[in-house]
Amino acid sequence: MNKLVISLALALATLPLFAATSIKATVNGMVCAFCAQGIEKRISNMPATKAVFVDLKKKTVAIEAKEGQTLDGDAITAEITDAGYAVVKLETVQKSIEEIKAEVKARK
Amino acid sequence: MSGRLRDTVLGCLAFAIAPLAFCGPMGFKDSWMAMGDFSPNWQEAFANYALTPRDALGASTLYMRSDDESKSRQLVDVTYTRLVERWNLPQAQANVWFLGGLGSVSGNDFGGSKLMASPGIQVDYETIRFYGSATARLYRADGINHDYASARLGFSFYEVDYDEIQPWLVVEARRMAGLSDKTEVTPMLRLIHNRFFLELGVNNSAQGRVNFMYIF
Repeated sequence: MNKLVISLALALATLPLFAATSIKATVNGMVCAFCAQGIEKRISNMPATKAVFVDLKKKTVAIEAKEGQTLDGDAITAEITDAGYAVVKLETVQKSIEEIKAEVKARK
Repeated sequence: MSGRLRDTVLGCLAFAIAPLAFCGPMGFKDSWMAMGDFSPNWQEAFANYALTPRDALGASTLYMRSDDESKSRQLVDVTYTRLVERWNLPQAQANVWFLGGLGSVSGNDFGGSKLMASPGIQVDYETIRFYGSATARLYRADGINHDYASARLGFSFYEVDYDEIQPWLVVEARRMAGLSDKTEVTPMLRLIHNRFFLELGVNNSAQGRVNFMYIF
């Protein structure tokens, strides 16, 4: 019975309908929080953005989409480029910003 | 070694060891940046607006005074900043900047005002823990030459997360022709937190100094 409940819970957790979608961008040149302010501000102003998280140590920027909206990878790349940095990789992950932050905190 | 020679050697050494300081002299596209650099002999306030990721227009006011306090200058100018080249590396960033100014200078040893041009170049290299830069700038008007050079080298005490205050130790050496025969050396504590950048130091003439930058 317990196994069934756990399996059901896992299956529900991975349903795309309910999972938060985020894009993780790996960014070259992002070495200073002061200078990287532009990334956060520009991406926060995008209509589909729910939350932004900058990880200086891993050189990544994570952007969570608002529910029911899709993030545009090309537009995110353009905003980061306009902020003065170079995007070298984009990946979509089924995680919220809070979950990504929790992972970073757990690494410490 | 004479004092002047020693100062020259120290100044050159500072340039030589600086891989090439300050965070960039402009913000990101469509942003305003305000900057200030205040000490008894050098008081500068500067603001610019980034029209593109590489170009910013602004205005500045600069008060300069000689070491013996007998001579002073007041410059008010419009400025143009250009990011000439940027290298975004996996663990570092390097930049070449053009700094330009055109305005009016007045002084206590001549009447009226003169047109002053101040073209310059800055190169910098930065990682999450290391910072180096060098700046050379001409300050020229009819019969006036206050050419300026500075070099900065610094390190961060430790790595921080994006939303934490990051402390640095930065040492700057700078010279200005026609107003000072000394190389001014200033160790400074730099604090960076989000959009605010602050430096506090005391130079080798026991004068305090405050620098700040803020992005809007």
